[in-house]
Amino acid sequence: MNMLALTNSVKYKAVLLLILSVGIATGCKKEPPASYIYDVNNVTVSQDGVSKPNVKSTVEFISIAYSDLFGNTIDQATLTDLGTAYLAFGDKKLVEDLIIRNFLNTQGAEIPTVAEMNANVPLFIINTYKKFYNREPNEFELWQFTNLITTDTSVTPELVYYAFMTSNEYRYY
Amino acid sequence: MNRRKFIKQSLLATAGATAFPYILPSGRLFAASGARKADHVVFCLFAGGVRNFESVHKMDGNIMPHILTGSEAISPDIAGGIDYLPPLSGSPLQTIGTLFKEFRYNQGPTGHFNGHTTAMTGVYTTTDLNIKAPPVNPTVFEYYRKHTSPATSALNAWWVSNALGPYPALNYSTDSNYGALYGANYVQPGSFISQSAYNVLANPKNFNSQQLTSSSKIKNMLDKNFGSQYKPGDAGVENTSTDAATLNTFISNCYTTAMSGGYDDPWGVGAANMNNDMRNVFFAENIITTFKPELLVVNMQDVDICHSDFTSYCNNLKKASYALAHLWQTIQNTPGMANNTVLIATPEHGRNETANTLMDQYGRYALDHTGEDVNGRILSREIFCLILGPYGVVKQNTLHSTPMGESIDIVPTIADVLGFYTDIPMSYRNKMGSILTQAFV
Repeated sequence: MNMLALTNSVKYKAVLLLILSVGIATGCKKEPPASYIYDVNNVTVSQDGVSKPNVKSTVEFISIAYSDLFGNTIDQATLTDLGTAYLAFGDKKLVEDLIIRNFLNTQGAEIPTVAEMNANVPLFIINTYKKFYNREPNEFELWQFTNLITTDTSVTPELVYYAFMTSNEYRYY
Repeated sequence: MNRRKFIKQSLLATAGATAFPYILPSGRLFAASGARKADHVVFCLFAGGVRNFESVHKMDGNIMPHILTGSEAISPDIAGGIDYLPPLSGSPLQTIGTLFKEFRYNQGPTGHFNGHTTAMTGVYTTTDLNIKAPPVNPTVFEYYRKHTSPATSALNAWWVSNALGPYPALNYSTDSNYGALYGANYVQPGSFISQSAYNVLANPKNFNSQQLTSSSKIKNMLDKNFGSQYKPGDAGVENTSTDAATLNTFISNCYTTAMSGGYDDPWGVGAANMNNDMRNVFFAENIITTFKPELLVVNMQDVDICHSDFTSYCNNLKKASYALAHLWQTIQNTPGMANNTVLIATPEHGRNETANTLMDQYGRYALDHTGEDVNGRILSREIFCLILGPYGVVKQNTLHSTPMGESIDIVPTIADVLGFYTDIPMSYRNKMGSILTQAFV
C-alpha cells in the first residue's frame, strides 16, 4: 500500500466517523426529563365574607368600639379626647388596648352575664361575631369557641369581648 | 417544581442551616460591624426656627447662657421680657463638646416639618413631602433597629415630640425595606399625659394573670384565623407583650404623678416659667431615667412664637438653652448613660433677615422663615450644631466658626456613633450627608 492509498483510507474513516457522530447527536436525541411535582403549591385560603382590606381610622375605631359596647353613640368631647390621645402614642395596639379596657371599666357597658353565655353558648358566639366582626362564625370557629368556653371555666363574656375588641380583625373592615 | 430542583433546594437549605445557623432576629448574619463610640445617642431638635444672629452670634447678648460661654448682656430693650431662671450647676455646654457655629440646612423648603424630616432621615426634602404620611426615606430609628445586633426592642428607640400635626409620622418611613417594624416608640406628652387623656385613659380594667391567659388564648385563636389578612405594621410600631406591660406601668405611673401635681414644676423654675419645650424635655428625661434608651430624639419648637413676638422668641430661646443643659445633666445623673452618651443639638432651620410687620410690646419686629434671599445670603438656612459627649470621644471645648457640616450629616453621625453606619446599604448611604468626624477624637 502506497502512501496515497493510506492517506485516502484515513480520510474516509474520518468522514465516516463524523457522519456517525452527527447522526447520533441528532437522530438519537434523549427525551427531555419528565417533570415530577413533589411539593404542594401555595394556595391562598379565604373565607366568604371575611375580606376586610381596610384599616379603621382613629375616629372609626373609637366610635365603633363605643357603639359596640354601650349601644349608643359616643359624645363628641370624649371622642375628641380619645382621638387626641390615640394620635399621641405610636404603638396603636397598646393605645387601643388601653381604650378598650377603659370602656370595659365604664358603667353602662352592655356585657352578657356568665349565666346568659352558658345558657346557649353557640348563640352567644354567633352574636359576638356579628356584633364585633359583622359576620357569623364559620363552622370551625363555632366549634373552636364552643369547645373553649365549655372546657375553660375561667372564660367570661367580658374576656371574650376584650379579646374580640383587641384582635387584629377588629382593626379592619 | 421538578425532582432535581426539589432535591437541590433541599440540599441548599440543609447546607445553609448547617453553615449559618445563627441568623440574627434582624435578618442579618452578623452583628453590626462598626465599633461604637458610645452606647447612647440623644438628638435634640432645637427647633422652631432659630436664627444664628440671636443664638451663636449673640447679637442681642448671650441669650443661651446654659449653652454658650460669654457674659454678653442681653439688649436692654428686650431684657424686661426675659424670665429669670435659676442657675444650673456646671459649665456652659459649649465647653464640653464641639460647636459648629456655621452649620447649614442647605436644601428644601425652610419649613418646620421639612427641617425635622431632613434631620431625622439624613435626606433633604427637595422634591416631595406628604405631611399626611410617613417620610419616604427611612428614619434614623429604622436604620438603628434594623442594623443593630442583637436586635433591640422598640423601648430602645424613642421619638418625643412637642406637637401632633404631622410629627407623629416621623417614627418610621414607608420604605419597603424598613417601615413600622423598625420604628421608634412615639409619644407627644403634651396630649398623652394631660388632664383630658387622663379622663378617658387612666381608669382601665385590670385583669389578673389567669384572666390575661384566658383572653390571650382567645385572642390568639382570633388572630390566627385572620392571619392571612393582617399586615404587620398596620398598627404602627409594635412592642412585645412584655414591653407593652412595662409601658402600661410607665404610663400609669405618669398619670398618677401628673395628677398629684408632680409635673407642675418638676425643675423648680416656677410653674409659670415651664413652657411646652421644657415639659417635653422633662418627659424625655423620664424616658431616659426609666428605659435608658440607646436612641432618643426630642424636639422643642416654642421659639416659633417669633412669627408674632420677637422678645418672647428670645425668652423661649433662653428656656430652650436651659432645657438642653438640664437634659444633659439628667443624662449624666443616669447610671448606664452617664459618660456613655453623645448628645447632638441643632435647629431644623433659621429665620429670615428681614422682619415682618408685627411689632411686640418691646418694639421689636417679628421674623418669619420663608427662605428669603438677601443678596445671595439665606439666613433661614444658617444654623448651628452642638455635639457633646464623653472626654476621649467628643472633642471638648472646640469651636468651628467657618461653614462646616449640614443637616443631612446628623443621621450618618448617629449611625457612626452607634456603630451601624457601614451596615446601612450603600444605596441609602449615598443619599445622606457625611459623618461629622470633626467633632470626634
